[in-house]
Amino acid sequence: MTATRSPREDGGTEGLLWAPTGPLTLKTVADHWKSLQDLLAGPSLKAVRVDLSGVDAVDSAGLVLLKTLRDRCTAASIAYELTRVPQSLGPFFAFGGLDRPPHTQPVPQKAAANPLERLGRLTLEAFQDVRELIHFVGSVTVAFLPCCLEPKRFRLKEVLYYVQRSGSEAMPIVFLVSFLMGLIMAFQAAVQLRQFGANIFVADLVSLALTRELGPLMTAIILAGRSAAAFAAEIGTMKVNEEVDALTVMGFNVTEFLIMPKVNALAFSGPLLTLFANASGIFGGMVVGALGLDLTPASFLLEAGEILSLADVLSGLAKSFAFSILVALVGCLRGLQTEKSADSVGRMTTSAVVTSIFCIILADAVFTVLFHVFDI
Amino acid sequence: MDGVIPQTGDVMIQADGLTVGYGDHLVLKDVTFSVHAGEIVTVLGGSGCGKSTLLKALIGLIRPIKGSVRIRGADITGPDRNAALDLMRRHIGVLFQYGALLGSLSIADNVAMPLEEFTNLPRSLIADIVRFKLEMVGLADYARFMPAELSGGMRKRAALARAMALDPEILFCDEPSAGLDPITAAELDELLVEWNRALGITMVVITHELASIEAISTRCLMLDGSAKGIIAVGPPDKLKSESADPRVRAFFHRQPRLLRAGASFAAAGD
Repeated sequence: MTATRSPREDGGTEGLLWAPTGPLTLKTVADHWKSLQDLLAGPSLKAVRVDLSGVDAVDSAGLVLLKTLRDRCTAASIAYELTRVPQSLGPFFAFGGLDRPPHTQPVPQKAAANPLERLGRLTLEAFQDVRELIHFVGSVTVAFLPCCLEPKRFRLKEVLYYVQRSGSEAMPIVFLVSFLMGLIMAFQAAVQLRQFGANIFVADLVSLALTRELGPLMTAIILAGRSAAAFAAEIGTMKVNEEVDALTVMGFNVTEFLIMPKVNALAFSGPLLTLFANASGIFGGMVVGALGLDLTPASFLLEAGEILSLADVLSGLAKSFAFSILVALVGCLRGLQTEKSADSVGRMTTSAVVTSIFCIILADAVFTVLFHVFDI
Repeated sequence: MDGVIPQTGDVMIQADGLTVGYGDHLVLKDVTFSVHAGEIVTVLGGSGCGKSTLLKALIGLIRPIKGSVRIRGADITGPDRNAALDLMRRHIGVLFQYGALLGSLSIADNVAMPLEEFTNLPRSLIADIVRFKLEMVGLADYARFMPAELSGGMRKRAALARAMALDPEILFCDEPSAGLDPITAAELDELLVEWNRALGITMVVITHELASIEAISTRCLMLDGSAKGIIAVGPPDKLKSESADPRVRAFFHRQPRLLRAGASFAAAGD
């Protein structure tokens, strides 16, 4: 490549002759561009002449380099001339629009929103989200009522399938988490209670905390991670593949066909899993009592049985029932909100888990206040 | 492959005794053909005859049971398969049947992706190249749109811009006009022919759209499912008017009765 600048009387530079040699392709364009930038950045120019006689190949990158150079010269009112273009490159240059005047129409850009506008938009989206959730809960309730009058519309086969997937298959992880939870709580409580010779009250603490609070909560969080994500991904993929549209067009009630079996399955399996979680946690506490606190399993269970009332167990199950329905609804709603892209499926699956956990915590707070007010 | 500019007539693709299948099921058996620089070769045939399987074997997505594929002399089926494939993939572009654009990236980012990954060009120049490619396919105003916001035809044109991002020497297209209306399909065909003429790109186009075949082909390779291979080779007009093979005639004249007559004739001959 050669580049020469012609001098001007006042000491500045009048014109630039740029004569690249060899190929002007993806592999060489970066170097050419760098040297051109240096040349153009010098003292002001009046004219740029490009001599292509030494160029033996040009690809799109080379063509774009020539176009960009031309456009920059035009914008800076510098005369631009392309000379000695090899004949073989003529059709390609014509195809690439190098023989046409520069494209001056600006490409429309999406305007960047200012922070206040973004905050407003996010707030509106949050309200819209709550509205959609309420609307969705309403539509599921409306779909539920006719099913009560005609039980076969509950689609028992699908319900059992989801009971197995969300319930039976979740038992190992529910056992492990709850057992460890009971174990940890018993250890923590033992450190304090042992000082007062009140080892036996470890059983009270573990069984009450698990039955009323931690059992339903941990089970619901596990369901959010497993089932809400699975429901959102399943329905989301169906949306991407237009299966949901196909069901709608064929006349199926999508809520009744897709959503109800999942909600019913979780509403059934959630409380059962909670009972299982309670038992697993108490077992964990009992192991610590037997191995570290000189409590026999029988005395631990007797104490737990004495402290627990039916109201404690039922309040936990009521919570679990509500949490399970929330998890199923949020998972299904996020699935239905999926747009037609793989990326959207991922985002909605994540959102299903996060929203479910948020709703669970919110509902738990409401339950706590209600139980306190009604002295349950 | 690097650094050598292909001349018209050079053998760009050479398949020898290519046998491809899935498990025990053979789809193609002993297929041999070559594609020369600057040609647009259409691979045609009825549904299930192995067109897409052939394409997958040519671009290295499936390994043939037997035979070899050479892309500009480099054997992508031999012992140095992985190195040859890595090198080949910098020099080919593939337009997939449904575009296969990445849904999480805008159209401009989809096109910029190979340029950012495989070149050392500055960002400003990459943006100019992306704009140029999108102008070429008529999507300059849609650079910031996401793939899900575009129609099927626009997505295919955007995918073509991405396939052409690195100015490949060979472009493979899998049913480019499938699912498009006749006007959009014709526009895409025109675009392929223009790019072939302007840049001398060799193209292998899988299709069974008669209008496309006649509009773009330099040469056709016709596959047949029962023969598990190529049954006719030649320019489309010649195959249409001169071929005596009932399968070829039935395909080009859209007359299945010719195929049935051919079958009964063959049965009588047996």
